Amino acid sequence: MSTALLQELHQEVRRLYIAGSDLAAGDFRLKRLLPQFQQLGERAAVFKRLGEGITSLVEPGAGDGAPAAVRLQELTLLLESVLYTQGVSAPDEAPGELRSRNFTLDTRLPYRKLAAVRQALTTTGSGRYEIVIEAFKDGMFQDLRLLPLAIAALNDPYSEIAEFAMTAILPSYGPAITGYLIETLNLAGGKSEVRKLKVIAKAGGTEVLEEIFKAAEEGSDDIRAAAIECLGGHDAYLPVLLEWSKDKKKVIREAAYKALATGGSSQGEDRLYEAFAAKKDRELVADALAYSSSAPLMERLSALYMQELREAPQKNEDKKKTEQVWNSIRPFTTVLSGQQNPLLDELYSYVIQDHGRFSSLGFTTVMNEAAWYKQRAGTEAAFEELQHLEKLDSRYFPHLFRAAQQLMSAEELYKQFGGTLINKLKAVVTKDSAQRNKLLMDTIKEQVMNAEEIWYDAAWDPQRDRQYRETAMLAPDKIAAAWDPRWLDLFIHRDVPELVCAFARPDHAESRRYLLNKLSGQKELQRMLRNHDVLPNLFTGLARSGMPDHDLHELLISVLENGKSYLPYRFDYFLFQLMLGFPASYHSRLEALVPNQRYYESRAQLEYVIHHLKGQE
Amino acid sequence: MPELTTSYVDSLAPNAAAIKNGQGLVRKKSFVKLHTSENGELLFGQCAGSGKTPYECSVDFITPDNPVFRCTCPSRQFPCKHALGLLYAYVEGQPFTPAPVPEDISSKREKAEKREENKAKQAAEGTESKPKKVNKSALKKKINAQLEGLDLLEKLVLSLIRGGLSTIDSKTIKTVQEHVKQLGNYYLSGAQTELRRFALLLGKGEDREESYTYAMEQLTRLHAFIKKARVYLTTRAGDPELALDHESTIDEWLGHAWQLSELKEYSLVKESVELLQLAFYSYDDPARQEYVDLGYWLELASGEVHRTVSYRPYKAAKLMREEDSFFELAQIPLLYTYPGDMNVRVRYEEMISRAVEDKDLERVAASASRSYGEALKKVKNQLKNPLSDKTPVMLLHAASLGVTENGQYVITDDAGVQLVLGDIPSLPQGTLELLPFLPASVLKDCCVLVMFEHLLDQGRLVAQPLTIIQGGAITRLLY
Repeated sequence: MSTALLQELHQEVRRLYIAGSDLAAGDFRLKRLLPQFQQLGERAAVFKRLGEGITSLVEPGAGDGAPAAVRLQELTLLLESVLYTQGVSAPDEAPGELRSRNFTLDTRLPYRKLAAVRQALTTTGSGRYEIVIEAFKDGMFQDLRLLPLAIAALNDPYSEIAEFAMTAILPSYGPAITGYLIETLNLAGGKSEVRKLKVIAKAGGTEVLEEIFKAAEEGSDDIRAAAIECLGGHDAYLPVLLEWSKDKKKVIREAAYKALATGGSSQGEDRLYEAFAAKKDRELVADALAYSSSAPLMERLSALYMQELREAPQKNEDKKKTEQVWNSIRPFTTVLSGQQNPLLDELYSYVIQDHGRFSSLGFTTVMNEAAWYKQRAGTEAAFEELQHLEKLDSRYFPHLFRAAQQLMSAEELYKQFGGTLINKLKAVVTKDSAQRNKLLMDTIKEQVMNAEEIWYDAAWDPQRDRQYRETAMLAPDKIAAAWDPRWLDLFIHRDVPELVCAFARPDHAESRRYLLNKLSGQKELQRMLRNHDVLPNLFTGLARSGMPDHDLHELLISVLENGKSYLPYRFDYFLFQLMLGFPASYHSRLEALVPNQRYYESRAQLEYVIHHLKGQE
Repeated sequence: MPELTTSYVDSLAPNAAAIKNGQGLVRKKSFVKLHTSENGELLFGQCAGSGKTPYECSVDFITPDNPVFRCTCPSRQFPCKHALGLLYAYVEGQPFTPAPVPEDISSKREKAEKREENKAKQAAEGTESKPKKVNKSALKKKINAQLEGLDLLEKLVLSLIRGGLSTIDSKTIKTVQEHVKQLGNYYLSGAQTELRRFALLLGKGEDREESYTYAMEQLTRLHAFIKKARVYLTTRAGDPELALDHESTIDEWLGHAWQLSELKEYSLVKESVELLQLAFYSYDDPARQEYVDLGYWLELASGEVHRTVSYRPYKAAKLMREEDSFFELAQIPLLYTYPGDMNVRVRYEEMISRAVEDKDLERVAASASRSYGEALKKVKNQLKNPLSDKTPVMLLHAASLGVTENGQYVITDDAGVQLVLGDIPSLPQGTLELLPFLPASVLKDCCVLVMFEHLLDQGRLVAQPLTIIQGGAITRLLY
């Protein structure tokens, strides 16, 4: 059967549908086809009928008087039916064998589970990342049907998903995935191809090094850089890495430095030192070495550091020059931060001794590094140096205090920093000592106030699926173990309520009096309560001071009843727990409070407590 | 009580969100009380909700195959997340303490028992549900209305063709949409859907040039429908019994929703049938304004491929059960079959499942069509009928699955006849991309479930693989 002719007719009638059937009469293109249909019609009835259809369409009056639209429909209906029997289903050429791979994946996930992940990976919108993470955790990516989606995820517009596919999902398929990815890797590609390359390196191990090397030589700059980084640590590639570290392109040198830094070979280190010393690429090398911990290299850099510090100008006379020097000093702080060796001991001592010079040069970062270094050292000598430094600049007091904590017993520490009563009286007189006092209290607060972490469910709102995190003061037993008891007196004397709350203890009646006094001053209290941390702290303190529960309960409810300033978004964990312990009879008093609450959460909490209390009745 | 597993509970859930929410309740420890009756037939408990009093929920396994879910929550989803959560808690191994059956449940059980008794009594007395009396004059009126509706539809279709598709603008589309509404008054819901489909093809954002071929086919289909329906309705109006046509799909085209009792009346039922689902998917059909869940099942005894269809109208979709893939073998005492060609639609009311065994898969292999020549003949025969299902599904045996130089995937039968595989536009997603990841073992001497579609603009008949069965394993490429 002449399919081409039928197709041609189909095109012509399609044209008439688009243009309108009124134009069919006398259509010369249809007329032109007619003889062929008539000729074929002599042998096949279908063609004859089609020919008749055409005739009735192009020659008005020839048909049974039906409108042109109907005749067009009739002809097309017949034509389509014929065409449906003529569909070509054979291939253009003979098929070869399908290359298969060694994936051991199944297809056991039901539609409802699979469709959700598919949707997450094929659409955009919020909440997708969580779905993908959950799916991976549940092992869903072992389903064959998610494999192509996981590969496509390397190109996901939401980069967290792309990174997750690169670091977790794809490597979990093992070596089978690398073969496939190598075949489809586009060396000229961009971000997603870089990710692909990283998967290949990660999942393929040493077997794919040749491929990686090829990418490092032939790829686009992005690909090359990524591939070079992957070659670090493989001795066979050391010579080329050394060569690349002298490349004209910055990105290539940068990648080569990173590779050499992970490699840890002595030749590599020589090259890194050389590049660092040459100053031009100092920033690049510093970034590459930021996570390195090679002791010999660090020592060499420390020596160089010392040398350059010594050579730094004595005075800040030429601003431009100072800035230039600082630019070459700064990379040292990147690399050597957190390192420790005798050369650095000496170096930081030198910095502290020459405090005046370096602070006039504005090398504050170096000074801070010195303070941290000496604090970490935890030796008597370092402590003395810190004392010296702190005298020159009281900003370094916290370092001094923390260094002392490592060296001294609780009692000694108190003696040193809490001092005698007379000291105490003197202490706040001068401006300098007032600042010291503030630094002391702040340093202690830092260590005590937010030391514990609490995670808890929002029990009052089962509709919502989330946990809350809160921090709390250091536990009383830990305070008793680490701190001298006399601190509490000092805190009361210096009027630091937060620390009194934390350190309060049952055998110290004065602390409870102090805290109750804080709660009684009406005007001041209302002002204080605007800071939403105050009330929870005070009640924690009162509880620590050994106040009996029923008194605490009565006190809390009366404060809530009086206080219009305390309207938190959410009652904190401690207060909420305290309320759950209320006597059942309080529920009516709480109910009266509900309308005052300004926020959804706190209201929901109160309602929950009320419901809880009613349940106990 | 049946063995409770996570996947069993999943299968009871109306949709994926209900699964998540049910499990969420367990994780958040929302269940205040968890109890079981002494004999273990009943699980019940209390679950904290947003209200002040917790919800009382229970799952009753007094008839193990058909658990009864009860809950005091106001949710219209069934079973609600609380009942599901109760089961998840049980599956997880949380402690359920024995307790006496609550009074309200025992009274509800009694009532249910009485209902069953009454039913049995009625059945025993032989008072079988009387055949519904048909109000013939009303029916006649309806048929006349339908005929009128067809005239209206024809007028519209012809005017569209006279003017030409290129002149259709948003104003014309609006007129078409108005007609869609009007057809509802003439009891032509099937025609409504098809006309809406036409409007969607030429609606906003579509590539016109590409749509024309399909729009034109849609018009000829409407023409064929009008012609056939007019003849059918005229004869039916003349028939004193006014009987339905139980052989062709014309009643469905007119919008008739077959009742199971009607199917039974025309003996369109089969007894004790075993079905194995081979493929499943779900899609959004904007022309129907419904989500459609489609399952393709092999009837083991006859080797025919049937399909289950469940429609979830947009408006009620949230409250309706979303169907899912089914991996076990379904044993069905009474299977209702709709009129149709290949892949007739089937339904059932009762079903029990069992695990798939090797002998079942042997039956599957034996059912596959081994000659593509014959298979294609059958497919084309169906396709040429303008009112037929244009995407027939068949199970084919393939001696091998290969690929050509330029990337065409091909299956070959024993006689060496080749058939090109391709992703078809009617399915929501492709499956060819999965073929390179299949192990070599499944690519030879396998059975492939394919869906055919004829691409009019290319003159090609393409088959998309849905599932591959080989060596005792079923690899579902779709769902």
